Amino acid sequence: MAIHEKSLIDSDRIQTSENLVLDGVDVSGHWNTMILPRYLSNYDTAFGRKIGTFSGAENVHRCWQCGSCTNSCTVYAQNTDFNPRYWIYLTNLGLKEEILKDKDIIWTCVSCNKCTNICPKDVRPEGVMKALAHWLEEEGHTPVTKSTIFDEEFTGQVYETGRIEDTRVMINFFRKTKQPLTPPWFIELTKRMMKHLPVGFLMHMGLHLVFKPRTKSWGRTGQVLREYVREQKEAAHKARAMPKEAVHV
Amino acid sequence: MQKTVLVVGAGPAGLSAAAGVAASGLNVVLVDKAAQLGGTPILSGYAKLVPSGEWAKDAMGRMVKRVENASNVKIHKETKVTKLAGEAGHFTATLSNGSSVECGSIVLATGFTHFDSINKPEWGFGSYEDVVTTTQVEQMVAAGKIACPSDGRVPERVAILLCVGSRDRQIGREWCSKICCTVSTNLAMEIKELSPQTDVFIYYMDIRTFGLYEDRFYWKSQEEFKTKFVKARIAEVTRSPDGRLLVKGEDTLVKRPIVIPMDMVVHAVGMDPNEDNAEIARVFGVGLEKHGFIDRAEHYTNTCGTTRRGIYAVGAALGPETIDDSISQGQAAAMRAVADLNALVQKTA
Repeated sequence: MAIHEKSLIDSDRIQTSENLVLDGVDVSGHWNTMILPRYLSNYDTAFGRKIGTFSGAENVHRCWQCGSCTNSCTVYAQNTDFNPRYWIYLTNLGLKEEILKDKDIIWTCVSCNKCTNICPKDVRPEGVMKALAHWLEEEGHTPVTKSTIFDEEFTGQVYETGRIEDTRVMINFFRKTKQPLTPPWFIELTKRMMKHLPVGFLMHMGLHLVFKPRTKSWGRTGQVLREYVREQKEAAHKARAMPKEAVHV
Repeated sequence: MQKTVLVVGAGPAGLSAAAGVAASGLNVVLVDKAAQLGGTPILSGYAKLVPSGEWAKDAMGRMVKRVENASNVKIHKETKVTKLAGEAGHFTATLSNGSSVECGSIVLATGFTHFDSINKPEWGFGSYEDVVTTTQVEQMVAAGKIACPSDGRVPERVAILLCVGSRDRQIGREWCSKICCTVSTNLAMEIKELSPQTDVFIYYMDIRTFGLYEDRFYWKSQEEFKTKFVKARIAEVTRSPDGRLLVKGEDTLVKRPIVIPMDMVVHAVGMDPNEDNAEIARVFGVGLEKHGFIDRAEHYTNTCGTTRRGIYAVGAALGPETIDDSISQGQAAAMRAVADLNALVQKTA
C-alpha cells in the first residue's frame, strides 16, 4: 500500500520488503510496506541493574528526574540532544532501544562533573555516562575506542615483557588504529631526539625495539597477571549479567 | 450546666477527641455506626501505619482500649445520631437506638469514604480481577502474602497508579488526597519485602510525599527497594491474550505511547467525603464545602469549628487527612469543646 505521507513517520519504522508473506498470503508488490508501531511495549528491567554494576553508576536508580544534570551540562549547552537526565530515565526503566538511538553522542561527555556536583540525589550522572559508553563499546554497539586499543597494546606489552617500549607502543597503536605510521609530528619528534639525545641512548632504544628485552626474572609474572585480569573481568561481567540482589547473596 | 461532649465517629480522630475530653474530667458519649471501634484503619484492614510502621490493629487497639477503660466515656456502637435539637451548650441528640443525649458541644469525627474505583472504569477495576486497590493490598500485606487474585500467582510486576479518584475534574474530584503517594511508596516497600523478585512501578503525575515522608518513604522506596517511578498518566488498563494486564498511556518523559504488561495493577484510591455527609449535614445543621467535606468556620481562632456554633469537626471529615494529624485535631477539638463548657460554667456562676 502506498504511504503518501512517509515524511510524517520515523524512517526506522517504515519497513519495505521485496517479498512479503503474511499468514500464508503473498502480499509482495503493492502491499509490501509496513509501519512498525510507535508504542513502547516493554521494560527490560535487567538492563538498569546491569548498568548499575558498572563502577560509577551504582546510584543510577536514585534519579527522580529533576533535570539538574542536563541543566548544568557542558555538552548540553552545545548539543541539546545530549541529555543525561533522559538517558538515566531510559536506563532505569530498561528502554534500551531508545538509548541505542543516541549511541553516537553518549561518549561525548567531557567529564567536567558539574552534573555530579549539582545532583540533589547523588546519582553521579557523569559515572552513568561513562558506564553507558563502556556498555555500548562492550556490547559492540559502538566501535572499540582508540583509548581501549591503546590500553590493550600497552598492557599486552607489560604482560609479555614486564615493561613497555615507547616506540613499539606508538607504532603498534598507529597500525591497529589504521593511522599513518609516520605522521609529521612523529617524524619531527624523532628528528629532534636524534639531534639531542646521546647516541648510546638511541642505539639502546633501537636494540630494544628489535630484540624486545624482558624485565629481569619476569618469568611467569606476565602470565599470572594476565590470568588475574581475565578473572576480574569475567567476575565483573558475571555480576552485570545477574540481578544485583543475587550477586550479594 | 452541661458536662457532656458528644463525639461522633470512633476512628483515630474521634478516639483522640473522646480521650481528650475524658482526660479533662468531663463526660463523653461516643457514637459509631460500625459494630467495631477503630474507624477505617480497622474496618478496611490496614496493615502497618505511616509513618510509625506499627500494625493498625495494635495502634488503634491502644486508642480503643484507652477510651473503653475510661469510666466517663459511654459508647454506642452500631448507632447513628438521627436528630439534633437545641443550641451550643444545650444540645439534645436523639440516637438511632432510641436513647437521647444531652450535651454541651459536639465533635464530628465522621471521616471519609474510599474512592470507589468502579467510577473510573477505563482503569479496569471491576473488569479484571488483578486490578485491585491500595486497600486490598493493605489486606494482602496484613495477611503476609502478595498474590494475583485471579490465580494466586506471585506477581512479577506490579503497577501502582497514583491519583485514582484524586485531581480529576472528569469525575468531580479536584482535590489531592494527600496520603496516597506516601501510602503507595510504603506499599511498594512492603510488596518488595514480601516478594523480593517483584518489580514495582509507580505511575505518577507528581510525587507528593510531603514533609518528613520525603526521604523516609519516597527516597527509601526508590533507593533501597528499587521502586521504579514512571511519569505517565495511564489512559487505560486492558488484558493481553496471555492473561496479563496491559497498562496503556503516554510516557511523558519519553514522549511515546506505552503498552506495558503487568501482573497486578493497584489503584491508589483517594479520599472522598464521607458518603453519609449529606445526611450528617442535614442532621447536625452544618455546612459542607464545595467538595462535599464538612465546611470550616473562621480558621484562626475557632479551632476545628464548623459553620454551627458548638459543633466541631476533625480529621478526614474536613478533607483528606493523615492519621497523625487526625489524632492531633481530635485533641485540639477536645480542648475547644471543653473550653466551651467551662465558659458556660463561668457565665452561669
